[in-house]
Amino acid sequence: MKIHVYAKLKDYFSPEFELDAVARNTDELKLRLLEINEEARQILDSCRFAIEEGFIDHDHKLKENDTVIIIPPSSGG
Amino acid sequence: MEVNGSSSETIEVITAEPLDVVDLLSQAHHPGAGAVVLFSGEVRDSNKGRDVACLEYESYTPLAVKMIHDILAEAREKWGLRVAIAQHRIGRLSIGESAVVVITAAAHRHEAYEANQHIIHRIKHEVPIWKCEYFSDGAHQWGNNCNC
Repeated sequence: MKIHVYAKLKDYFSPEFELDAVARNTDELKLRLLEINEEARQILDSCRFAIEEGFIDHDHKLKENDTVIIIPPSSGG
Repeated sequence: MEVNGSSSETIEVITAEPLDVVDLLSQAHHPGAGAVVLFSGEVRDSNKGRDVACLEYESYTPLAVKMIHDILAEAREKWGLRVAIAQHRIGRLSIGESAVVVITAAAHRHEAYEANQHIIHRIKHEVPIWKCEYFSDGAHQWGNNCNC
């Protein structure tokens, strides 16, 4: 599974990386990410998740070849 | 110019190029619109008492583009806008440059003002675009949330 992160999340993770561990949904994905960097807990709790052009819910079933986008709170404008 | 309010479909809503506010405004005139409201969000030289050197914006562009188009379409429908345009810049911006422009044109000013505020509020708070402030002392900080 490929992971892309943006903005403040880049202080905790590489902008793009491959996750070898299994994550069946975004709840599990969050746990896998915390195993990489536990300090990201607070920001991860406020993030949304997306695949391609749509947000996904926490129970959306993730596939091995998905590219998951992790989206921190917006701060445009 | 198209007269059905869809002229903004051809405008790139996320761009790395400097925003041409005058050109965007020139595309917002419509025979059925008696009011045109233009908002330009520009880079300020300070934030919370700290001197700002520049800002950098990034976006998750595929989703940001879709969301901005959806927000504009909803606003057109809700307020009966003749024209609704939004363009957000990404990349590094200097003080005084425009980071985002929203233009709304409607029959009367009430709808144009209200729709404009609604659109910019949603772009700031919902669309995956992020601002990083670079301060004069060399520090930088990603915006966790909009503070405007």
